[in-house]
Amino acid sequence: MRPHISLSIPILLLFSVMSQAETVEMTVHGLVCGFCAQGIEKRLRKFPATADVLVSLEQRLVAVGLREGTTISDAQLTDALEGAGYAVKGIRHTDTSMATLREQVKAGRE
Amino acid sequence: MMPKITMRAGALLTVLGTVVWTVSIAKPIAFAGGTTVMGEYGAGTMEEVQVFYAPSHHYSVGGGYLRLDSDVDESVKNIAYARGNYLVKRWNMSAAQANVFVWGGAGGASGNDFSGQAFTGNAGAQADYETRRIYASLKSDFYDSSEFTHRIDTLQLGVAPYAHEYDQLAVWLVVQGRTYTGNLYGGTEWAALLRIFKGSVWVEAGVTEDGNLQSMVMVNF
Repeated sequence: MRPHISLSIPILLLFSVMSQAETVEMTVHGLVCGFCAQGIEKRLRKFPATADVLVSLEQRLVAVGLREGTTISDAQLTDALEGAGYAVKGIRHTDTSMATLREQVKAGRE
Repeated sequence: MMPKITMRAGALLTVLGTVVWTVSIAKPIAFAGGTTVMGEYGAGTMEEVQVFYAPSHHYSVGGGYLRLDSDVDESVKNIAYARGNYLVKRWNMSAAQANVFVWGGAGGASGNDFSGQAFTGNAGAQADYETRRIYASLKSDFYDSSEFTHRIDTLQLGVAPYAHEYDQLAVWLVVQGRTYTGNLYGGTEWAALLRIFKGSVWVEAGVTEDGNLQSMVMVNF
């Protein structure tokens, strides 16, 4: 039993890390019009890994919340945003929840 | 005094129109995979409906219908056309965006001052610059056939009372100046417009200095 237990702990830890939902935050230039920026959301939601999308014109931010255990490469995200007609200036992978980001964007308005 | 101002404004639009023509040529392109449907009522002088599909954010294809009612004589033209739009250049800045579009197409026209259908060529250009508080665009649309030649130059300057967020209602106050060539309208037609949009729907309405309705509806999906 002991070897079985000692193996299961790192495996569980590994699954725990792998299953943690990730958020990708992108700094985007050209975000000035909500009507025009719809293309961003439509393109990002086409990825099966996309759980949620947040666009903030004020923060020049596009964030994608990923489904647990899934990922989208930086190249795919950049292609999607450039295909929508915008310029990606930075990509950050964080563990900030989309709900927290929404609160931060809302707080920035006030 | 009034004719002098009108002539000066017309000359300005012509000069700006010439600048755009030398720089470029198209019509707004939504986004890759997006379809745009637009309808405009232009103060009784023009009415236009357009549908465009954009396979890429660089270009779109589609068609439209334009009715021109002369304010000078009794002539009426109905033009149906197929058109391609191309994004020549986009500048994505940290808090602004600027674009140059060009377009070209062909179709047929009928009118009450000539018989049958006249093959009609169409070309145009648009340059625009916007931040979340300021908007400026200049569009020149040219139609040519064996029976008529018309150019419609439209200048729009807009100010937003507040900077809208992506999920908020956007409100813009817009001043529009438009000139027509080919005996459609004398001088420059000025209009004050209220533009609002949210989500995929854009509505713009106002009045010209003659008290006529100027309006536009656009939907992206």
